[in-house]
Amino acid sequence: MNHAITQAISETLTRPDLWLIVFASAVYGVFVGAIPGLTATMAVALFVPMAYWMEPVDAIAAIVTMVACAIFAGDLPTALLRIPGTPASAAYADDAYALSRRGLARRLLMVSLFRSAFGGIFGAVVLMLLGGQLASFARSFSVAEYFWLYLIGLSCAVLVAPATSRWQAVCSLLIGWLLSAVGISAAHPEPRLTFGITALYQGISFIPAMIGLFGLSEVFANLSEETLAGRKRDDDGETTVSNGDSVGVTSRRKSRAIGFTRSGSIGVLIGMLPGAGADIAAWVAYAMAKRKSSAADGEATIDTIGEASTANSAALAGGWIPMLVFGIPGDSVTAIVIGVLLMKNVTPGPAIFEDQPVLVYSIYLTFILANLLMVPVGLAAISLASRMVQLSKRMLLPLIVLFCVTGAYSLNGSLFDVATMLAMGLLGFGLSRFRFPLGPVVLGLILGGPLEERLMQALTASGGSPIGLVNRPVSVLLAFVTGVIFWGILRAASRDRRH
Amino acid sequence: MLTFAVCGCRGESHWPSRPVTLICPWSAGGGTDRVARQLAVQLEGELGVPVNVVNATGGGGATGHVRGAAARPDGYTLTMATVELNMLHWRGLCPITPDDFQPIAKLNQDSAAIFVRESSRWQSIGDLQQTLSGQDTPLRASGTSAGGIWHVSLVGWLGAADLPSDSVTWVSMSGAAPSLQELMAGGIELVCCSIPEARPLLDAGEIRCLAVMSEQRSPAAPDVPTLEEQGIGWSMGGWRGVMYPAGVPPEKAATMQQAVLKVANSQTFANFMDAAGFHRDVADGNAFADFLSQSDSDFGSVLNQPVMKRQRDAPFGPHAFPVAVCACGALIAGLGFRSSRRAAGTVAATTDSNPRPAVRMPLLVGFVISIGGFVLVVEQVGYVVAAFAMLLILMLLLRVSFRMAATTAVIVVAGLYQVFAGVLGVPLPWGWLGW
Repeated sequence: MNHAITQAISETLTRPDLWLIVFASAVYGVFVGAIPGLTATMAVALFVPMAYWMEPVDAIAAIVTMVACAIFAGDLPTALLRIPGTPASAAYADDAYALSRRGLARRLLMVSLFRSAFGGIFGAVVLMLLGGQLASFARSFSVAEYFWLYLIGLSCAVLVAPATSRWQAVCSLLIGWLLSAVGISAAHPEPRLTFGITALYQGISFIPAMIGLFGLSEVFANLSEETLAGRKRDDDGETTVSNGDSVGVTSRRKSRAIGFTRSGSIGVLIGMLPGAGADIAAWVAYAMAKRKSSAADGEATIDTIGEASTANSAALAGGWIPMLVFGIPGDSVTAIVIGVLLMKNVTPGPAIFEDQPVLVYSIYLTFILANLLMVPVGLAAISLASRMVQLSKRMLLPLIVLFCVTGAYSLNGSLFDVATMLAMGLLGFGLSRFRFPLGPVVLGLILGGPLEERLMQALTASGGSPIGLVNRPVSVLLAFVTGVIFWGILRAASRDRRH
Repeated sequence: MLTFAVCGCRGESHWPSRPVTLICPWSAGGGTDRVARQLAVQLEGELGVPVNVVNATGGGGATGHVRGAAARPDGYTLTMATVELNMLHWRGLCPITPDDFQPIAKLNQDSAAIFVRESSRWQSIGDLQQTLSGQDTPLRASGTSAGGIWHVSLVGWLGAADLPSDSVTWVSMSGAAPSLQELMAGGIELVCCSIPEARPLLDAGEIRCLAVMSEQRSPAAPDVPTLEEQGIGWSMGGWRGVMYPAGVPPEKAATMQQAVLKVANSQTFANFMDAAGFHRDVADGNAFADFLSQSDSDFGSVLNQPVMKRQRDAPFGPHAFPVAVCACGALIAGLGFRSSRRAAGTVAATTDSNPRPAVRMPLLVGFVISIGGFVLVVEQVGYVVAAFAMLLILMLLLRVSFRMAATTAVIVVAGLYQVFAGVLGVPLPWGWLGW
């Protein structure tokens, strides 16, 4: 084993051309991830034809790097323009944007960058040390466990909402949920709520929906005399970028370390479950961090967002666990990686650990390398991006519209998606006017479909009896956790009512 | 001038003279996507222009096939069609039939196979059939959504082996990967899917393949017996092939078919297909068309069986869920409005301390109309012209000076176009000017 590690080091860390590949992929990943509408999956899919000409380790290193960087870069438009780059960053889009309007954008993005890098490294270390054991745990997840997990994920949207607007968060969640019911899914082979439009068979695709809900609706909300005249709307101005106060207050350090371990672990654990992935991980970590921090100042919110970034990045490594160990893809990116590996005559699965330990260790090392190189590239991207949003609103708003339109179109090459984005922009604009939060809409849209599918599958398998949801040890445990969360929400609601 | 320089000039002497789009009806990373991307890379070499894969996913394949058939028949849009083209129209999910396409070449065919856990008691297909014929509680199986290719294969096998059709409950899952995960987790007993989809778990010895539904043994798993060998006359599988929408000029179709067949018969492509475990089965346009009409009537006969129409094991109808969500939403909204109105006196003071400025409605309407207009005309006039016009109008709406707006629009649109269509290879609509 030691021999394999040494060889892996000599095949990765000591090769300047690999560093170059990783660096180039980092730039490419940041670039693609920062464009709203282009996702990490898209970055990898576009890269596949090139991967064909590369060595397996090089190709994997490039993919790992571009995904990590694209996920981080998704935070750039989230914070600066309120257009979430990834579904995971929708969790904190509103909070992040509020911070940047208070001039804390750079500070927030710095924290997010470093937390992403550390989260990614944490995930890689866990993957390295516990990959096998965790995989056999992930394997025992059947549809019933997924059902409870999705339910926990959904309830997080209500947990993060402030007490005064909790019912609005529930309503937003249900709106998203209802939108997710459109189309055909595995749960119901007949088209539903499609009004005969074939383009709706696939349901409302959530990237265009997200761009519309957040990005376009923000443009609409800015179409006021005061904003356009460049008058200051908040205490200290437009998205000006300052460094905030100095890093690292000692009293916070300990709680940060605990928070980091917690969100990193949540990220790996949830990320390794095929189909659950980084989105739920970020929401759960965000909800937990927000429960823990009582202070409402900018610094505390930055920490909370940092935890979501940590979980998000750690989940990326988690997604590789079932892929490497069983060849079951954890998300769409690892699905592509399986394709690339097969193209190279490498079959992922338990055998890979015995037959090709060098390759496995090289993959682990590239994870660490990727997250290290992400820092300088990310820093450059932050300063570039913050400069761009200092344009006047009159110029910036039309440009954002063009970006939204192009991003929504390019994902599936479909004009229907652009129309979806426009409709969602109006919906988001209306909802924000009446103080309904938008994050829960996205969460409902993403998780509503899978939740229903899993429920139907569990009930079908048990012949229609609800016992099928709670007849396994892990599902009983998860059902109990769900029950506790729901009880907590209800109790808080009734307490607020009494006050 | 600047846009011209950025986009470059292309002569029309040689066809094809601009990028070709290959529509893949399935998501990135799946088997079909992998085949499509491999084909695209090699086809680029043959045609001398970029071939971009677009994943038009959803609707169990309906979206991609409908878009492929409705594409402009100018020879620049290919579709990587799959077996669902034979099935969707029989289930009333999509108006498109193989007749709406012009087949170019068939690339592969993968047979269905039956998988169980390694730890299960069934060692052969005979064991399994014995259990199925004598058991009261049905076994649970999956592999795809209800009515999908592997479901049809399984029902056909039950019928051919004279087993009762209710001896297996089909759990509708979204694909082979989650079905295999569920098999490992013990939620179901059988999985019916193709061998390449189950390859890693099969190689790892976690699952066992009992039979393949083909006439000959699969080269991907030569030691697995066929149903034919067990005396059951049933074979079924999925295919993939390249198609043009009907109406492409014959000389262009001939050029494309020549290029695709050259790629499909190349050693590189064969190596790729072997490595991925896909069974390569190349046929030219005419043979492909014959195959399609034959298999289409086969699928019709299975999918029109009463057992397939009845096979809806789900406990609720499709509308139960949205209705429940609506009811819940109405209830919460009602409660919320009441409590917030009651609390309005105390809370409003704090929440409304920072009201958002009033939006100018004419501007909002102008923005919406501009974006809507872009959607309506972009297919005709092309991305560059439409985006330029939209950006210009939006900036003028916000009272940016005309010269400033025009300059910015030219630079940004040309740059963005170059980034998407040039660097990233994401196709944007072509129009009057060729870009």
